[in-house]
Amino acid sequence: MDKQVHTSRVGEEFAQEMKKQSQKERFMSLAPLIILLVLIVIFSVTAQGFFSINNFYNLLNQAAIPLVMSLGLTFVILMGSTDLSAEGLGGFIGSVVALMVLNSKNDMNLGAFAIPLVVLISIGVSMLSGLLHIKGKLPSFMVSYGVSSIMSGFAVLSYRGVPARIRDPLFTVMAQGNFLGIPYLTWIAIVTFVIAYILQNRTRFGSYVMAIGDNEAIAKNIGINIEWTKFKVFVWLGLCIGIVGVMGAVRVGQGDVGIGSDLVFPAITSVVVGGTSLSGGKGGVVHTLIGAFIVTVINNALVLLGVSPYIQQAVQGLIILGAVALSVPHGKNLIVK
Amino acid sequence: MERKLLMSMKNIVKQYPGTLALNDISMDIYAGEVLGLIGENGAGKSTLMKIMIGAETATSGELRMHGKNYAPKNPIEANALGVGMVFQEQSLILNLSVAQNIFIGREKRFIRHGFVDRKAMNEAAAKVLAEMEIPQIKASTRVNRLDFASRQMVEIAKVFDAVNGEAKEGSVILLDEPTSVLNAEEIRQLFKHVRRLCAAGNAVIFVSHKLDEVMEIADRICVFKDGCLVREMENRAEEVNEAVLYEAMVGRTASNEYYQLGRQRMPEETVVLELKNLSKRGFFADVSLQLHRGEIIGICGVIGSGKEELCAVISGDEDPTSGEIVIGGKVCKLPSPHSALRQGILSVPRERRAGGIISDFSAYENIYMSNYDKVKKNGVISPKLAREQAEEYRKELDIKLPNVDQKVGNLSGGNAQKVVFARVLASDAEVLLLDHPTRGVDVGAKAEIYSIIRDIANQGKSLIVLGDTLEESIGLSNRVVVMKDGEVTRIFDAPPEKKPEQVDIVKYMM
Repeated sequence: MDKQVHTSRVGEEFAQEMKKQSQKERFMSLAPLIILLVLIVIFSVTAQGFFSINNFYNLLNQAAIPLVMSLGLTFVILMGSTDLSAEGLGGFIGSVVALMVLNSKNDMNLGAFAIPLVVLISIGVSMLSGLLHIKGKLPSFMVSYGVSSIMSGFAVLSYRGVPARIRDPLFTVMAQGNFLGIPYLTWIAIVTFVIAYILQNRTRFGSYVMAIGDNEAIAKNIGINIEWTKFKVFVWLGLCIGIVGVMGAVRVGQGDVGIGSDLVFPAITSVVVGGTSLSGGKGGVVHTLIGAFIVTVINNALVLLGVSPYIQQAVQGLIILGAVALSVPHGKNLIVK
Repeated sequence: MERKLLMSMKNIVKQYPGTLALNDISMDIYAGEVLGLIGENGAGKSTLMKIMIGAETATSGELRMHGKNYAPKNPIEANALGVGMVFQEQSLILNLSVAQNIFIGREKRFIRHGFVDRKAMNEAAAKVLAEMEIPQIKASTRVNRLDFASRQMVEIAKVFDAVNGEAKEGSVILLDEPTSVLNAEEIRQLFKHVRRLCAAGNAVIFVSHKLDEVMEIADRICVFKDGCLVREMENRAEEVNEAVLYEAMVGRTASNEYYQLGRQRMPEETVVLELKNLSKRGFFADVSLQLHRGEIIGICGVIGSGKEELCAVISGDEDPTSGEIVIGGKVCKLPSPHSALRQGILSVPRERRAGGIISDFSAYENIYMSNYDKVKKNGVISPKLAREQAEEYRKELDIKLPNVDQKVGNLSGGNAQKVVFARVLASDAEVLLLDHPTRGVDVGAKAEIYSIIRDIANQGKSLIVLGDTLEESIGLSNRVVVMKDGEVTRIFDAPPEKKPEQVDIVKYMM
């Protein structure tokens, strides 16, 4: 019998294949950053006014709301789930916060206190959809779609047709003011990013979310409390949606259900374009930051180039298809449903 | 010398529906020893390990650890009680760092003000890695940046620390095929560490197909066969050698009647399927083989020998990286199982429920699924023709069905498998790949399935069989192909009057 048990030719080849694959993965994780830089270079040359201080602040401003939304979704997607509730819930929070501050419709006027209150409401609703998903074992995608619909309805009911105009001076300051030249809304996004970064990298929660997304069976064997971790993800999502709802109300100056529209799709695009895998366990908040800027830069440049908004929407669709195609594993025997 | 008993098992039985996985196993494990477990795939080693780690519970019997009753409900409880296992499939979270992986689920001691103190965690992990003598692996590296062997070492470090770091007394560590991705130097290191652990009063259970490794590291060797502990011996050079172990692993050969050797025919001259230097990088290499009309070829090899992947390639489920598949003299591409079927190759998968039958469909629907043409009338499926066809097969194969409209999901293993065979026969495929055709089938139905297989071969079809046991592969086949580490190591002729011995085949497998 041959004695070279340890090094078979096929074994060597297997090791080589694994190495190749991990090199490829390494490159893929850098790809979003490279794409962002390439886009910036291209648009600087082709789109007049793109590479300017003014537009830089513009970009920061435009990225603020999508970034907070994407950071909320990042943990959900890292875990391998999806959540669409932001459209209805964000719209509801925006509508309700307008009714709670100094406004054109009622004299409730809770002032600044309204903000933490509506954020708590948002967390509560998100916890509820979390429970339906975790305890009721319903797919997160369908639960959140249902919740979104319900909250959209409640949003319109809350102001009975005509949205409340916000007259609270605090909101005017938040909309227009800046610190160090950076708008307040952008600061909110920056702070949210820092918190998300710490959550992902400096807490057990962050590791556990990654573990669940990578392989839930292993996570269970390791002894991770899976349901509790998932529940916390929904709390974080609710917090982010609450903040986004308020930011939206600040930006449009009234409490309109429309604040929630076009939140979810660009946010999922940002998360996926950044390299977070829809099947979970890969990516993270830094990827989302890059992804959010890729999406914002493209939208911004398309406006500067004078492209029709309908085409912009189509471009966004193409981006997400391209990003998904690049990020999902390819294999003959992969069963995709 | 008085040895300290760490774990004892008494009369452990594990009954799965249809199979007795462990039959009355009693075993003691002592501090300071390396216990080697060997046996064929399916002999019961893995089941026993799963019971020891709490991933399965024994049907009956008693486990004691340190003299106390031991019944962990899951691997975490087992770890806390001093038993840890390095699983064959790695269980690392790829996107976390080495340190995060080593301490996942046990981060408590690194929490400062609610946050993980990464520096302290990395330092502690570095200490664990240094103890394992793999300081070249950095604690802060993400696992997906490591090569496979390093990952395996991290996995081992993690389990060693989880068990040894917390248990006060001697612990038991289970290693399931730990060396399959390691090179010689890494194996040497692993062994060194195993010995160090044992010298410190722990015990290591080492499961491997590589007998030379077992003989090198083990103090004692237990041989499993068909769920029984058939031999237990001290590993002394004068008593133990590979021949002794092979002999113990295979035991006696069953009667020839069972496999209906009288009906085994000489295959015809015509080659129906030829593989020319077929390779799939990383799985198998340079497999060349001719399958003749009416021939049954059995492929033997341990898990990881490449036989599964070879069959996946022949059935069109995977693509080869080089080499040719020649069907009826023509070089063919098999991009999918559907295309393979159109060219005459049909595979019967191992997991009936997952891949062989559609549970919610009736028997007659299942039977026509691989060949609609036979039951079509005026371009659409005729339920009448389909029922008639099914009725014929029901009689021919003696499928126990009240009627052919019965849903297949409720049938017993043997009867469900017969429905699969009816589909196979209706498909008109010339080459059949049977992956464990008798898995989960009781003894009586087995004999009937062997008879069906003989019928099929004698009708001039050709079969490739991955047997459920070595005995089955030998008993059924005209030729036995043995694979090891992705290469064909030997092809045995297996005429009815002179079947090869299992021992001889095992030699080329391990």
